[in-house]
Amino acid sequence: MPNALTKVLVANRGEIAVRIIRACRELGLRTVAVYSACDRTALHVRYADEAYPIGPDAPRDSYLRIDALMEVARRSGADAVHPGYGFLAENAGFAKAVIDAGLVFVGPSPDAIATMGSKTAARAEAAAAGVPVVPGTEAPLGPDATDADAGRIAGAVGYPLLVKAVAGGGGKGMRAVAREAELQGALRAARSEALSSFGDPAVYFERLLVRPRHVEIQLLGDVHGTIVPFVERECSIQRRHQKVLEESPSAAVTPDLRRRMAEAAVAVARRVGYTNAGTIEFLLDASGEFFFLEMNTRLQVEHPVTELVTGTDLVHWQFRVARGERLDLDPRRTLDPVGHAIECRIYAEDPDRDFLPSPGLVTALRAPAGPGIRRDDGGAVAGVVVPVHYDPLIAKLAAWAESRPQAIARMARALGEYDVRGIKTTIPFFRWLLGDAAFQEGRLDTTFIDAALEARGGRPFLEVPDEAEHLAIVAVALQAHAGTAAPTAAAAPPASRWQQAARAGGLRR
Amino acid sequence: MRLTVEANGRARSVDVSGRDGIYRIVIDGVEREVDAAAVDDTTFSLICLGSGRASREVGLGPSPVPGETAVHMPAGVAVVRVLSGPPGRSGRGGGGAGLAQGTQQVVTPMPGRVVKVLVRVGDEVRARQGIVVVEAMKMENELRSPKDGRVTRILVDEGAPVEAGRPLVVID
Repeated sequence: MPNALTKVLVANRGEIAVRIIRACRELGLRTVAVYSACDRTALHVRYADEAYPIGPDAPRDSYLRIDALMEVARRSGADAVHPGYGFLAENAGFAKAVIDAGLVFVGPSPDAIATMGSKTAARAEAAAAGVPVVPGTEAPLGPDATDADAGRIAGAVGYPLLVKAVAGGGGKGMRAVAREAELQGALRAARSEALSSFGDPAVYFERLLVRPRHVEIQLLGDVHGTIVPFVERECSIQRRHQKVLEESPSAAVTPDLRRRMAEAAVAVARRVGYTNAGTIEFLLDASGEFFFLEMNTRLQVEHPVTELVTGTDLVHWQFRVARGERLDLDPRRTLDPVGHAIECRIYAEDPDRDFLPSPGLVTALRAPAGPGIRRDDGGAVAGVVVPVHYDPLIAKLAAWAESRPQAIARMARALGEYDVRGIKTTIPFFRWLLGDAAFQEGRLDTTFIDAALEARGGRPFLEVPDEAEHLAIVAVALQAHAGTAAPTAAAAPPASRWQQAARAGGLRR
Repeated sequence: MRLTVEANGRARSVDVSGRDGIYRIVIDGVEREVDAAAVDDTTFSLICLGSGRASREVGLGPSPVPGETAVHMPAGVAVVRVLSGPPGRSGRGGGGAGLAQGTQQVVTPMPGRVVKVLVRVGDEVRARQGIVVVEAMKMENELRSPKDGRVTRILVDEGAPVEAGRPLVVID
């Protein structure tokens, strides 16, 4: 029997909270926002129907507090909770607390979250569903294993391989082995490093995929057993193992490969009785073989590219599935993309300094617009301070066009319009990337950014040509001539901040 | 009006004259005429007169270094500082692209917490080698050495909170 949802607690902040509130408004659902101290004037707070404080700035004192969130749910009379992504979105205990309080959790079951949240359990489920996982040894190689044992086991995994410390992390106790002759040396080095770093010399083997792509399949599942796969997303452009640009479809995926990846993703999801939105991530190697990597049991940051090429609203569907509706999507629509979409994550980071965070006061901001451009943001405007406590994502910029080259051209056009001052952003990096020949030809893999940083050797991504440098001098000279001092970070006049805040209020009803 | 500016590390002499929106600007002896109009307090529309009226927009923003202005253009960001004296030797490297020289500090650009100091006093380090790990915005960020050199001082303890702009390690 369908649940009648009327009021949704949005247990998140930033662009995703705004995205969810927008969907609720379109669906006629009332919304409840929560906020930490520094988010008092954030857009999601101003835009929601109701708003409640949940604690100090640090996430563990506010957005991660299940007790505080459940108290707000009770006080506000919400009948559903949407967790967004990050924070508690993949916390089975939170999903269970919501359900135990008699509310609807807009996401999968606590059991599905718990199972797929464990890397080893998820790997076992994928293997049991007949889906390839990155080949490796399941049992660790103990200190008493002989050289012959090691050679036999390594041969079964296949070369090249990685020797990895069981207790490892941060690249310690890890050695790449290209061929059998290198195995014993690498094994000794990895064991000794593992022993000194973690006090445990146990190691295991995993096949080393050479420059793989990261390709993922979005899924929706309803409570009646239907699971619908969507056309893949290509997410190989990553820094620090985090995605910064995603596109759909992937230049490396043929219709036949798409069908096989979609079938594999559905098989894994079906095994765990998956409902609501989720994503199966795969590594795709140069030969076209793909391997299960992990499942994200939530809405993804990059969901807009899928929405743009399939004409589907995934957040609407999250609510519709949560209230018991049947998924009646036509698979021809979900697996046959129309055109091409690209998303750039606009982070408050300095790409010229290894993508280090760059929080602070935004002194001016003009966002792009025009045909085929979609922007999701959490209300970053001139006068807003990007806080240091949270994810540095200030906006997502997506472009849709009829083909990949046209989508690249459109995104480049939009990035040229994007004017953000006061903080550093990833915009210069994207402008360089979209002009790069390898990117334009679709030759991507997960080492792309590291290789680019290495090749540039500290040179900035956007090098200012002489003509522009002259213009800059002209502008500064004119301002000196006009008798006003150049602005500094400390000197944004309060009056103009109020004006800017008033302009930013356009979203309010 | 005559002034000296430093653009991306290079000193330039500039002479500005004109009014009512039409200005003559001479940079290091090269003359140009522009039609300039303010879009808002910190954004100018410039139409370069003479060769086909090229239309350009420039935006002024703060720079992390006091006294400098970051000039934002579609082509990128140029950093310009107004110097009071005549053109002199610049303290910074030409073009801003090369690696740093002399005694350098590893400075945190963002507030956060020092998670780990990866070097000890006396260590030889290479340019771009990780020096300090600072946690900010939910991430551990490795701050790297600006140059090849030797660690001469460590100015922070692991676990300490740090403000933006704080020097953490000195490399000579």
